Amino acid sequence: MKVALFTSCMLDLMFPKVGQDMVDVLERLGCTIQVPSDQICCGQPTYNSGYVEASWPVLHNQIDAFADVDCDYIVSPVGSCTGILKEYPTLLEDDPTDPDGYYMKQAKILAAKTYEFSQFIWRVLGIADCGAQLDGVATYHRSCHMTRILGERETPFWLLEHVNGLEMRPLNGLQYCCGFGGTFSVKEPSISQLMVTEKVENIEKTGAEILVSCDPGCLMNIGGRFNRLGKPIKIMHLAEVLNTNVDPSRIRKVSEVPAPTPAPAEVDLS
Amino acid sequence: MTIINREKFLNHLADRLDQPRHQLAQHPYQPISDLPQTTLADQTPAELLATAKTHSEKIPVTFVTTAKAQLGAQLTTLIQERGGGPVLLPTTKAFEQFQLTAWQQSLAETQQVDYWQAENGRAANLKLAENANLSISFADFLLAESGTITVSSGAGQGRAFHFLPQHYISVVPQSRIVPRSTQAIAWYDDEIKAGRLGSSAIHFITGPSNSGDIEMHLVTGVHGPLDVVYVVVTDC
Amino acid sequence: MGLKTSTKPFEERIAAAAADKFATASIAQSQDAQYVKREGARSELGHWQEWRKIGQSIRQHAINYLPDYLEEFSDHVDQRGGSVFFAQTPAEANTYILNILKEQESRHVVKSKSMVTSELDLDQKIQALPDTTVLETDLAEFILQEDDWDEPSHIVFPALHKNRDQVKAEFEKIGYVGDNDPEKLARFARHYLRERFLEADVGITGCNFAIADNGMINLNTNEGNADLVDSIPETQIVVMGMERIVPSMKEAEIMDNLLARSAVGQRLTTYVTFAGPKAQDEADGPTNFHVVILDNNRSEALGTEFQEILQCIRCGACLNVCPVYRHLGGHGYGSLYPGPVGAVLSPILGGYEQFGELPFASSLCGACTETCPVLIPLHPLLIKHREVETDRLKMMHGFKDTQMKIVGKATASPFLFKMGLQFKHFGMQAFTKHQTPTALNFFAYQGAMIKNGPGLIKGWTDVRDLPQPPKHKDDFRVWFEHHQANQGGATK
Ligand code: SF4
Repeated sequence: MKVALFTSCMLDLMFPKVGQDMVDVLERLGCTIQVPSDQICCGQPTYNSGYVEASWPVLHNQIDAFADVDCDYIVSPVGSCTGILKEYPTLLEDDPTDPDGYYMKQAKILAAKTYEFSQFIWRVLGIADCGAQLDGVATYHRSCHMTRILGERETPFWLLEHVNGLEMRPLNGLQYCCGFGGTFSVKEPSISQLMVTEKVENIEKTGAEILVSCDPGCLMNIGGRFNRLGKPIKIMHLAEVLNTNVDPSRIRKVSEVPAPTPAPAEVDLS
Repeated sequence: MTIINREKFLNHLADRLDQPRHQLAQHPYQPISDLPQTTLADQTPAELLATAKTHSEKIPVTFVTTAKAQLGAQLTTLIQERGGGPVLLPTTKAFEQFQLTAWQQSLAETQQVDYWQAENGRAANLKLAENANLSISFADFLLAESGTITVSSGAGQGRAFHFLPQHYISVVPQSRIVPRSTQAIAWYDDEIKAGRLGSSAIHFITGPSNSGDIEMHLVTGVHGPLDVVYVVVTDC
Repeated sequence: MGLKTSTKPFEERIAAAAADKFATASIAQSQDAQYVKREGARSELGHWQEWRKIGQSIRQHAINYLPDYLEEFSDHVDQRGGSVFFAQTPAEANTYILNILKEQESRHVVKSKSMVTSELDLDQKIQALPDTTVLETDLAEFILQEDDWDEPSHIVFPALHKNRDQVKAEFEKIGYVGDNDPEKLARFARHYLRERFLEADVGITGCNFAIADNGMINLNTNEGNADLVDSIPETQIVVMGMERIVPSMKEAEIMDNLLARSAVGQRLTTYVTFAGPKAQDEADGPTNFHVVILDNNRSEALGTEFQEILQCIRCGACLNVCPVYRHLGGHGYGSLYPGPVGAVLSPILGGYEQFGELPFASSLCGACTETCPVLIPLHPLLIKHREVETDRLKMMHGFKDTQMKIVGKATASPFLFKMGLQFKHFGMQAFTKHQTPTALNFFAYQGAMIKNGPGLIKGWTDVRDLPQPPKHKDDFRVWFEHHQANQGGATK
C-alpha cells in the first residue's frame, strides 16, 4: 500500500521523532512511505487568523505538492491539519483565485484519500494491536479539531487499549480545548493561559505520568505549560507510543480482537 | 389598532435580502421531516399513561389517577391535604361533564369556594386568585413526553387563575393524553384557525414554578404555584 | 448600559475575570452540570442531528422571508386589537415605549427577562421618569437590579456570577432577614415581587417567538413571571428583535422543544405560553397591547455571510460549551451578548470598532458549532469576521501585519520554508536557555528551551516554554532521506 505522508509544518519544525516513529509503525504494517518534498502547511495559521487572501497560495501549494504523487492514501500525524485538509473543498468555494476550479477538483481528490494516523491504522489498515509495550500510567488529550472537524473520537482510544502494560486513566473535561488554537495561543496569551492551566490541573488529577495525543500542537502547548510550571509529565504522540518496544508477533487485526470499549464520555457523568 | 413605520422598515429588509416582498404565497414553509409527528407516536394509551406518570413525577408533580365516580372524593382529599380553601374554581360546563355539580355544592359547605367570573372584572378576579390557596382547572391535554398539561384561558378561567394561587390542581381525561406537544399544538392551531377557540392565551404548564438563578440551585415556587397536581380521569 | 457593558480595555476585563475565582468556579460547575443535563435531554429525544436540521430549516425560512412574515404577523396583531411599532433604532423604540408610559400615566412597570430591552437600556430610561418605577421580575434579573443594575453574565442565567452570600446581602437592603439558603431567598423574592405585581399597570416582556399567522407571542419561562406580567397589568408592551419570528404555532412548538433541551436540559420549559391581547369576554390579560419590533443593525447581517446568526434562538448552549466563556465569564466580553453567539453578533450590532476583539477571542475549537440547535456555523463565522477585519477593513488586532504576511509567504513557498527549516535552530539560539526540564520527551535537545521569545513567539512564551527547534541535520525530512537510502528505496 502506497502512503504519502502529510507531515505538517509542526512536525517539520519541531517534532522530527514523531515522524520517524510514524514511518516505522506504518512500514511495519506493510506500507510504502513517501514524503512529497514541496509540502509545507495546511494553511490554518493564516486562514484562521483572517489572512484569507494570503492563504489561497498556501492551500494551492499544498494541493500541488500532492497532486502528482502516486499514492493510495495520504496520512498525517496531526488531527487538526487532517481535518482542515478534508475541509479544503468547502474553503475553496470562496477562493477567487481559482476561476477554472482546478484546485477545487484536486482538493476533492486529496480530501477523499486523506486520513489521520490513528484512524488510518484502525479504519483503513484494519489493525487493532500494533504490538507495542509501554509500562506506565497515561491519559489521552482529545483535540478539538480532530474530534469536531475531522469527526474522529474513537481510534486513538482503541489503539491505546491494545498497548501492553499501559494503564489509561480517564481525563475529566476531555471536551474542553487546551488553549492552543494555533495563532490564538500567541494572539491571546492571557486567555490561552487560563485554558491550558485548567487542562494541566485536570491532567495532574488523573495521576498519569504520560500525556498522549494525536495533535502535536496541543502537546506543545500543554507540555510547554507543564514545563513552565515546573510540573512533571512525559509528552508522547500516539505514534511514539505505538513504536515503543514492539513485538511484531503480537500485531493483531481489528477482526481478531474483541469489540473495543466505547470511547469515553466527555464529562465524568458520575 | 395601529401599525407604525412598517413600509419603510420592511422595504429596507427586502433591499438587504435583495429580493422582492410578498414571496411567501409561492414559497410557504415546507416541513422537512415528520419526526415531530412520529416521536412516541407508537405508544398505546396504557403506555402513554405510564410515560406521562413517570415524566410528571420526575418534575416533580403529584400524579393521581381516578375513575370519574371517585373524582369528587379525590379532589376533596387533595384539597384537604393542601390545607383547604379558599378554593378558586372556573366557571365551566366541565363540572357537569365530570358529574361534579353535587360535589361543588358539598365542597362549598366545608370550604370557602370562589368562582372566576369575567363579568366581575379584572381586579375582583385577580383578588380571588391571589387569595386562593388552591385553584382547580380542567386541562385540554396532558403531554406524555414532558409531563405537561395544556389549558386555554377564557371568560371562565383567566390567565392568572393558573398562576397566582399557592397550589394548582389540573384535571384531565385519560383520552386526552397525547404523545407530545406536537399533537396539542396542532389541535390549538386548527381550533383557532377554524374560529372555534376564541381564547387569547394558551398555556403549556409543566409542574410548579422554579428557578436555578441562585448558584444554579433549583428552588420551586418563585412566582407561580408552589405545587402542582395532575388528576387523570381514567374512564373518560 | 445597552449593548456595550464595559468601557474597560479587553486585557483589563480578562485580568478581572481571571481574578474572580468565585465566578470562574461557578461557571465551570454550571457548564459541567449543564453538559450532563443538555446531552441527556438530547439523547433521550433521539435523532438529535435531524432535529437540528428541522430547527435550522424553520429558522432559515423565517429569515429568508422576514419582510413577509413580519407583515403577516403585524396584520394579525392589529386584528387582535394590538398595535405594532417598527423601530429601526433603540432611540425610536425608547421614544415609543416611554410615550406609552407617559400617556397612560403609568406608575409601576413590571418586566420579565428580555435581552432586547437591555439593548435599549430601557430600564434606566424608565427609571428616569419622575413618577414611574420599574421592576425586573425574573429572579436573576431582580438580583442584578437590586445590585444597582449589575451587568448580566449569561443569556440564560444572568446572575451566574453571583453567590448566595452576595444575594443575601442585597436582599437584606430591602428587608430580608434570614440565612443564605437559596430556598429562603427565593421565597423572600416571591413575596416581595408578588406585592408589586399586583399594583403594576404596565408589563414589559420579550418574545421567544412571534407567531406570524395568528399574531400571538410565545414566551418560555421556568418561573412563570412572564405569565404574571402578561396577565395582571392593563397594558403589555412586547419588545422583540425583528428576527424572532416563526410561521405558525406548529413551528414555534418545535423551536420550544429545541430551546428547552438545549438551554436547560428540560423536555419543555415549565411555562410555555402563547398569548395576545385580552379577548373581549375575558377578565385579565392586557387591554392595551403593543409590540415593538427592533432592527438595531440586525439588518446589517441580512444578505451577507453573517445572515445565519439571525437564526439564533438564544438558548445559551454555545456559552455553556465554550472553553473561553468558561474562563472569561460574561463580563469579560464587554457585550450584552457574550460567548460564541456574542462574538459573532456583537460586531454586527455594535460595529468592529467596539467589538472587533471578540472574534479573535476564540481558539476555534468548534464546540459552539457542534452544539448549536439550529446549526449556525459559529466558529466559521468568527473566521469570517477576522477576514473582514484583516483583509477587507485592514484593521490590526494585535497581529503584526508584516509578521503574519511573512508566515503567509513562508507557508506558501517551498523554497522559503526549506530555508526556514535550515535556520530555525540557530535563529533561536540567542533566545535559548538550558535548564533541567520537567516535561520529558519534549525538548529536542536536553533542556534547550525558549522562555522569552521574540515577535510572534512572545505571546507563546509569555505562558509556556518552547523547545528550541531541531538542527537541520536532525529534521524529519533529512532523517527520511537517509532512511530511504538505507532501505534502497526511491527518494522523491
Ligand atoms: S448561537 Fe446557537 S447555541 Fe448559541 S445561543 Fe444561539 S441558538 Fe443557542
